[in-house]
Amino acid sequence: MVEKYHLFSQTNFYLWFSAVTAPDMPVSAGGILNLRSGRQYMEIEGKSFRAFRERESRLKERDGKKEREKQHKRGKLTATERIDLLFDSGTFEEIDAFVTPCNSEADFGKVDKVYGDGVIAGHGKIGNRLMFCYAQDFNVMGGSLGAVHAGKIAKTQEMALKMGAPVIGLIDSGGARIQEGIASLSGYGRIFHNNISSSGIIPQISVIMGPAAGGAVYSPALTDFVFMTSHTSYMFVTGPNVVREVLNEEVSFADLGGAEVHAQKSGVAHMIYDDEENTILALKKFLSYLPLNNIEDPPALPSPGPGSRGADNRLREIVPDDPNKGYDVKEVIRHIVDSDSFFETSALFAPNIVTGFSRLNGRTIGIVANQPKVLAGVLDIDSSDKGARFIRFCDAFNIPILTLEDVPGFLPGIDQEHMGIIRHGAKMLYAYSEATVPKVTVILRKAYGGAYIVMNSKSLGGDFNYAWPTAEIAVMGPDGAVAILYRRELESAEDPAALKNELVQRYRERVANPFIADEKGYIDEVIDPAVTRQKVISAFDALRNKCVKAPERKHGNIPL
Amino acid sequence: MGERIRYRKLYVLPTRGRSHQFSLPLKESIRIGKRDYPIQLKNDERFGTYVLWKNRKYPVEVVRSGQNSYEILFNDITYNFTVETPFSYRRRRTLTKAIQSPLSGEIKAPMPGKITEVLVKEGDTISSGDTIAVLEAMKMENEIISAISGTIARLYVKQGSTVMKDDPIAAVVSD
Repeated sequence: MVEKYHLFSQTNFYLWFSAVTAPDMPVSAGGILNLRSGRQYMEIEGKSFRAFRERESRLKERDGKKEREKQHKRGKLTATERIDLLFDSGTFEEIDAFVTPCNSEADFGKVDKVYGDGVIAGHGKIGNRLMFCYAQDFNVMGGSLGAVHAGKIAKTQEMALKMGAPVIGLIDSGGARIQEGIASLSGYGRIFHNNISSSGIIPQISVIMGPAAGGAVYSPALTDFVFMTSHTSYMFVTGPNVVREVLNEEVSFADLGGAEVHAQKSGVAHMIYDDEENTILALKKFLSYLPLNNIEDPPALPSPGPGSRGADNRLREIVPDDPNKGYDVKEVIRHIVDSDSFFETSALFAPNIVTGFSRLNGRTIGIVANQPKVLAGVLDIDSSDKGARFIRFCDAFNIPILTLEDVPGFLPGIDQEHMGIIRHGAKMLYAYSEATVPKVTVILRKAYGGAYIVMNSKSLGGDFNYAWPTAEIAVMGPDGAVAILYRRELESAEDPAALKNELVQRYRERVANPFIADEKGYIDEVIDPAVTRQKVISAFDALRNKCVKAPERKHGNIPL
Repeated sequence: MGERIRYRKLYVLPTRGRSHQFSLPLKESIRIGKRDYPIQLKNDERFGTYVLWKNRKYPVEVVRSGQNSYEILFNDITYNFTVETPFSYRRRRTLTKAIQSPLSGEIKAPMPGKITEVLVKEGDTISSGDTIAVLEAMKMENEIISAISGTIARLYVKQGSTVMKDDPIAAVVSD
């Protein structure tokens, strides 16, 4: 943002000029003139300059003491404070700061005349990389979206698309500006259209820091990731008042569309944090994993070298001997990836599948892992949706995918079948198969049936498929298989339990083990768990220049 | 834009017990009562993270770390806490009403299956994160974990009962 204009006497102007443009120049919050001891600032007499400066000072009003207090009392920060936290110090440049709300005849009277129309838009550097951002200002007409407000957002999106830089939306808005009518609706339409045209080209991230109601919720829904702050942000298509009037149901803001609800139940929010500062800090960390656009590779940190960590014996112990016991797959992840680099996405939604970004030897990878600790790690409707969307994001932005597999199968039951597990499970298949980025799988334990095929099997295009010696790869688990294959023998046996045990044992030895798959070439290697890190690093190294050319098509038809 | 927000102190908020205050920048000593003890927190590839005091190493394991929430294992005791800035600390207090955890409620079955083990009985006191039963489903033993702290008011299941998804397992009342 253009901070201020110090105007000086001609003689030392050049000297001062260089000081003003120094990047770490402290910035005054109060006014334009910064009167410091020992420095003489001269007023330039001239109408145009005075008018210019007066206008500049008007801009500061939107972040005055009163405005800050109002937001702080609600437990929120002002739009300016948010931008300040997000961007590298002094790099934010605002655009369209002085536009005023659309003043048509039909404005119904209640439009405040304010510069900027309730949204701050612009670009700056985050971690020294170009990013675009718009931040809605709840203090201006409740952050409501009018035609001009929408125009600014759309302009930011269009610029970001041209420049190939991510767009971050800091959302704190009461919804469409009622008094502007159709103009604000059309504004939403334009924003959605831009969301969709940029999808898969630049990362788009929404951060909900206040209400987002009605049509406003669909812009975040169209973006790649949604962050929310607990207790202060809400998202719903229709608010509690409408729900009460139409359906006679009493529900609170938090129970209808609070951050917890969206993080756990609906899956709309991918990351939630307790307050805005932590949300923004997490967002900055998150951005450090992503490339700026779909042409770039994700940023790489200096690599610690594959040999920097020796064999990790802990990995041999994590998977319990008893196949019926669960364990925490996140511990496996932590022992494979660079230390402290795992950033989990959608941690609370469908926790039976774990997704997230991480670094392997300094390079970003996406991780998809079944979580045996929750619901036995089954694939169900929600986990398929979560996994598929994550895989498609990784594929769009050149992020290699590591799959850690321990899946007993798809979740059976009336509930799942009627809700369409077939349709939803197919998304996962589609996403894995369609992805052309490097794909490596490690089978930790169970890999049964359709779920084995889905989890990036060799036949779906997995580049390197490894298995731990504990792996069980087969059409179904030993108990189920034996019950079907030897139904008659078991019925007529004198001691069915003993016979079953014997058959189960034989099934494990002959069928459900990784060595048969290895001998037949369905997996590439059975590996020692302790060297998994070294194996996957060398696999991704070998795949660095992977290139897949598919015949041209408009787009595939993913089952939605 | 305004000045970048800088802090002189941070708060550490354990899930239970009193909060602590730290001044920034962090010093390599801690104050207990009126004395300062020189303690160093170190991290290296060979020993991991450890606290160095009087040339002895006390290993610290970061079990889990979120954005500002941590689970630390030190001397075999697990500590759960969050780190708060003065602003978020104040804000937390303004919003305490909203932050209160669910008072009482029912623990429900996450998926259909068979209860193979019940680990609590009516009248037992539990805290959130405790396992109350084991549910066998998909040939796996799944631990049913309580999200609520309180007393078990009623148990709806016993060993061997079959449950459908969302069937209640226990009712918990907070004290």
